[in-house]
Amino acid sequence: MIHNSALVFGFNEYAKQITLQISSEYPSFTVFVMNETEKSAARLAGFEAELFDLSEDWKSIEDRFDINDLIIFCALDNDAENVFLTISLRATFEHIPIIALAGDHESAEKMKSAGANKVMPILQITAGIISEMLEKPTVTEVLHDIFYEDSALKIAQITIPEESFVVGKHLHDIDWGSEYDVLVLAIVDHQLGATFSFTSRGHNHHIDPDDILVVIGYEDKIATFSRAMGVMI
Amino acid sequence: MFSQWMVGIAFFLHASSRYRHVKKFFHNLLENPSYPYKKFFDYTMMVLIIISVYILILHVKHDVSPKWIFFNNYVVSFIFFIEYLLRLWIFSDTSKIVIEQYEHDVFIQRRFNYFDAFRSIVKNKLSFVTSTSAIIDMLAIMPFFHEFRILRVFILFRVFKLFRYSRSLTQLVSILSSKKFEIFTLGIFATVIIMVSSVLIYVMEAHNPESKINTLFDAVYWSVVTIFTVGYGDFVPVTDEGRIVAMAIIVAGIAVISFATSIVVSAFTEKLDEIKEEKLIDDVGKIDQFYLICGYSPLSAEVARQFIRHGNKIVILERAKEKVQQAHKDGFTALAYDSGSLHSYKAIKIDIPTQVKAVILLRDSDVLNVYTALTIREISPTVILLSILHQDENRRKLSLAGINEVVYTQELIGLISKEVSGRPVAFEVIHALRSENSGVFIEEIGLDRMMAERFFEVARLPLFYKRLIVLGIYKTSESKFLFNPSTDLTINEGDVGIVIATRSLIDEFKTLMYQKGKK
Repeated sequence: MIHNSALVFGFNEYAKQITLQISSEYPSFTVFVMNETEKSAARLAGFEAELFDLSEDWKSIEDRFDINDLIIFCALDNDAENVFLTISLRATFEHIPIIALAGDHESAEKMKSAGANKVMPILQITAGIISEMLEKPTVTEVLHDIFYEDSALKIAQITIPEESFVVGKHLHDIDWGSEYDVLVLAIVDHQLGATFSFTSRGHNHHIDPDDILVVIGYEDKIATFSRAMGVMI
Repeated sequence: MFSQWMVGIAFFLHASSRYRHVKKFFHNLLENPSYPYKKFFDYTMMVLIIISVYILILHVKHDVSPKWIFFNNYVVSFIFFIEYLLRLWIFSDTSKIVIEQYEHDVFIQRRFNYFDAFRSIVKNKLSFVTSTSAIIDMLAIMPFFHEFRILRVFILFRVFKLFRYSRSLTQLVSILSSKKFEIFTLGIFATVIIMVSSVLIYVMEAHNPESKINTLFDAVYWSVVTIFTVGYGDFVPVTDEGRIVAMAIIVAGIAVISFATSIVVSAFTEKLDEIKEEKLIDDVGKIDQFYLICGYSPLSAEVARQFIRHGNKIVILERAKEKVQQAHKDGFTALAYDSGSLHSYKAIKIDIPTQVKAVILLRDSDVLNVYTALTIREISPTVILLSILHQDENRRKLSLAGINEVVYTQELIGLISKEVSGRPVAFEVIHALRSENSGVFIEEIGLDRMMAERFFEVARLPLFYKRLIVLGIYKTSESKFLFNPSTDLTINEGDVGIVIATRSLIDEFKTLMYQKGKK
């Protein structure tokens, strides 16, 4: 789900890339930094940044942003400070999605304990990509195109509306590939839990309203498929 | 006339590729530890030595078949003799010595002096003949020339030949020889003590009728047995003076043993790292295919873990010794060599084109990674190079250095952040597929002719229905990915199929494609 506002904490190389990538996705985004050096770096990159310190009570955020439509990226240089920032924000805002960077797996666990919804351990992600690029170059290329390039092939998550014709059917009742030219990779079956399960596990899930289908297909086919499901993406 | 003939032969041999090839073969067989067939030769020689010694021992009290005696005296000795000649031959390049002498004489406008050349050759070969190992080799051949019983003892010299074929024994000798001076000093010290104590005990005991020490030889024997703390007790001093000498020599004996022990221990301690490194280099030389990681950091450790988890082998090159020690502690194969130096690759004997699957450059800066990439490109223009990028502005420099793949972590994190915030479930699905922790895998299958023909036929089998997703086919010739392909698509040899399923189903899919193809 895309939110209207995003806050990025920190302005190191990682935070800079996050800001560059999300700036076009969110109508409003703000960069918070801890010192003047980072503020200057942000300005140099074309972003206005505001100063903050870790002892803040974050009331200003509540006053300035709609906290129900806000997402936060914690990308401070120091893992300990990032954990502290995450836990401070979580203490104030119970439901805001927080995405945090962590140096390694150990810090990632602390970030999760501090209340981050999603943690990106830099070491593990980088190592995983390196390994995949050399072991599965074609898979890497295809997935990279799907996710990050302007390829016509896209991945999408489609939430089934209550009035959709598929509600009440089973996953294997429909030949998604032939009928819609999309492949259903996974389903979040709310009756079974909040997490997804892969369709290739072979379970013939009963489709209910609000279940989420994760599909891959060409952009126009996904649009057609969404309309057929009764939603627009 | 003779000199012309000599130079002619030398040039002929020098130019003959067949001669060079044969000589190189024997050189590898006898002297090159990394030559794969050397170990078979060494094992054969070791077996011959053991048989020889066994026959010698058996012959002491038993009758041995004349065939075995013949085998031992002539066949084994003849084999050793041939080996000796081969070693003498490969020890130096005679033709080169002649040519060098000839060119030298021509250069200074002098007539070729074949006597000088001949003298150089003899001098050169004599340095082999007089070496310890060659003397042992020669003595081990002795039973071949004589059948006198006493000369059979020379068979024992064959045991010393084992040093040639066993690397561990060679290392033992090399370790001890590094302490030559200390061992020599100890020898002098022990000799002086033995001499003094022998004379003293002889003087004190020889006149006493109750003492068994009656000759100087008895005294020397007693001193040796006592000083080396054996003390059989067959000779004992009976006079008070003799006992005082005995007490003194016992104390001196402890000093000798302590000194000897400390020499051996310190020799091993000093050489331990060297021995370990040599062993490691040997082990690395035996690995068929591995990923070479240049530079050791937390990222290198994580990359190494990922590769090992997928059943790959890795070797780490890192210049800083403390980092190499850390890598060893972390359980990785790491060598303390600078990956940016050509000399390192010669020293560690890695054959990059055949042994290395890809080189991963994870050094501390783009400068070092570029330098290392250029070094490796000098050795192999084709090996895949992947590098981490530290500063985005250096991306082009890395490409110019011949690096095939560049990973810029910061950008990657930026892209992922966008996806995580926009499509969290979709991202989690793909992340789970990539991390291979969910039990469902995304796999690329390189298709040979047989598999290409049977791909869709097998994919349509009921076993795979709804359980194996054919994401698409990558057409290698067109560099194009065809998503959700129709089953009438023509797949060619070399194309890549991308499928999503559990591991067991993917394996079964591959097996069935191959089996059906064979049928």
